[in-house]
Amino acid sequence: MKRLLLTVLGVIALAMAMLTPAVAQSKGKVYYLVPTLLDEFQTGSVSALETFLKQVGYDVQTLNADNKTDVQQSQMNDVIALKPAAIILAAVDFNALKPSIEAAMAAGIPVVEFDRQITSTPSAFTSVAGTIEIGYIAAEQAEKLLTAKYGSVKGKVLQILGDPGDPYTLDIQKGFEEKMAAFADVKIISLPAMLWEASNAGTIAADQLVANPDIDLIFSHAAHLSVAVVASLESAGKKPGDIMLMSSNGAPVGLDLIRKGWLNVEVEQPLYAQAAAVAAFMDKIVNKQEIKPGEYDIIGLNGVVTTEAWGPNIKLPGAAIDKSNVDDPKFWGNLKPPTDTVKAIE
Amino acid sequence: MDAMTPQTRRTLEFVLDNLVWFMLLAVLVVFSAFVPNYFQPGIFANIIEASSVLGVMSIGLALVVIAGHMDLSVESVAALSAMAVGILFCSAGIGIGVDLQPEWLAVPVSLFIALGVGAAVGLLNGFLIVRWKVNAFIVTLASYIWVRGLVLALSGGRSAQDLAPAIRWFGTQRLGIDLPGFTFTVPLTAWLAILCFVVFSFIMAKTPFGRHLMMIGGNETATFRAGIKVNKLLIISFVMAGAIAGLAGWLLSIRTSGATANLGTGLLFNAFAAVVIGGVSLKGGVGALPGVYAGVLLLSSINTAINLMGLPATSTQVIHGLLVLAAVLLDTFKQTLRQKLA
Repeated sequence: MKRLLLTVLGVIALAMAMLTPAVAQSKGKVYYLVPTLLDEFQTGSVSALETFLKQVGYDVQTLNADNKTDVQQSQMNDVIALKPAAIILAAVDFNALKPSIEAAMAAGIPVVEFDRQITSTPSAFTSVAGTIEIGYIAAEQAEKLLTAKYGSVKGKVLQILGDPGDPYTLDIQKGFEEKMAAFADVKIISLPAMLWEASNAGTIAADQLVANPDIDLIFSHAAHLSVAVVASLESAGKKPGDIMLMSSNGAPVGLDLIRKGWLNVEVEQPLYAQAAAVAAFMDKIVNKQEIKPGEYDIIGLNGVVTTEAWGPNIKLPGAAIDKSNVDDPKFWGNLKPPTDTVKAIE
Repeated sequence: MDAMTPQTRRTLEFVLDNLVWFMLLAVLVVFSAFVPNYFQPGIFANIIEASSVLGVMSIGLALVVIAGHMDLSVESVAALSAMAVGILFCSAGIGIGVDLQPEWLAVPVSLFIALGVGAAVGLLNGFLIVRWKVNAFIVTLASYIWVRGLVLALSGGRSAQDLAPAIRWFGTQRLGIDLPGFTFTVPLTAWLAILCFVVFSFIMAKTPFGRHLMMIGGNETATFRAGIKVNKLLIISFVMAGAIAGLAGWLLSIRTSGATANLGTGLLFNAFAAVVIGGVSLKGGVGALPGVYAGVLLLSSINTAINLMGLPATSTQVIHGLLVLAAVLLDTFKQTLRQKLA
């Protein structure tokens, strides 16, 4: 019993030792509520926000919701009680967090929507590439790829979504299918990879290639799903180029697949610019100053700020990456953070 | 029941013993008849291929369930093993691309690492459950959480990609019937899973170890009084469950040519479903591994049908849930019938 007690105390001590509070002199502490750390875009967003916000004088504390709405709601409640300078929220659920945002704003804590736009309630600032717009860009690229193959936009597309409970993937699907609806000769088969788990995507690809061997293009909603799709293609004896592939989010694994010839296009979310925009406007957000509409240079990208019903909103253009530009360091998937320091916008 | 002829009784017992196989057969016939493109060798090969990871994981889980316990950590252990193999033997992403010469050496080394990682977690679980008498549910639930956390900490949320070709060979090399006009081949990973089922079915049915595990699950106290080293066997069963989960992770990394931080999520519940459908009693002491394999194939057949029908993914979970319920009800019915036959 004594040994058991000592071990338990040891484990608790170890856990406590890992909870080292970061105390530093700064303009204030900003909490970043990240939806999950199980994908490369999200982990990239943590380091990008920490780096850029530090450059403009803020400390960042990140809380991971593990893709659970209720956990993120609790985190919001806890963080509101701590009265930080601001909260950056990448919402697990676009609607469920509305009351928490309203509570924070009512308490005088500015809430910044990052990557996932919430239009149902006002917030202090929104920085997005636009998930529906990612779908639009993907559709433009699909149009190009199918035209290059057939001379017109026709063929069969397998669209592998992420988890069907995630509004992020549903928005991309909405944008993609909205644009592709113009092409009657394109058949789209849409199936979700439950829990964004890669082997589920591999299984979908393997089954569909047998049932529909005439699939021309596979569009996965995340680069890590494409990795498993490629593994299934290899297992089925396919070579790079036999079937066209496309994915979205711009993760490093996607860029590697382009270099190897498997992936035709990766639709990038401009992670660095999205994070830099938050940092550039943070002083104005914290001091509750007006953010004027217009065009702003955000680490080389042209960001457009508009005043929407839900508050000031900066939209940064996503980009299509293919073999011609895959090595461009501006893409976050190349993991070369910008060397220029972000400056607060006056 | 008194009027039953010996022939009828034998037939009934055979059906009861192999109920899950009959369910599988019925499901395959129904899907082949009604789901477009389902009835073809390529789809059946996919079902077997997709069953390999879940199948191997279910073996380990079945061992501890038969012994009257449970192991909720198998999914996370598989992910940890996959990530360990991914980090060491992938050349892109976070992979450091360990280069062994000759190249084939990567196969035994990676396999040893995967098994070792799994066995280590299994040993810790077994030790806490058997020696310290902590509830298996709590211990393995804790492992389920901390091991997944370790995967995240090791990977930093990033992926490892491009597994060493020598290891990946098991996923691309296919074996089976390849005749003009008829091809039915599955990757070596699927053959490995089948081999595991054959070996462990033999161990459970024909060796003292298997029989003793069955006895422990049936009545631990009586088994102890019969002079069998219950504690030692239980620890071994947890170590084996961990090591087998490690093997499932090795297969998973081959199947996806690397590892991501969320790899394998959701497998635990499917493994439990397969074990229950396969006729293993959650109370322990009852069950056979061939039935578990049939359960795995059944789940995989349903998944494939849903993929081909284009049903919303939520239907998969509803169907799985109903199927487990149906299997449990069938199991209860089977036991009632057996009591009447006795």
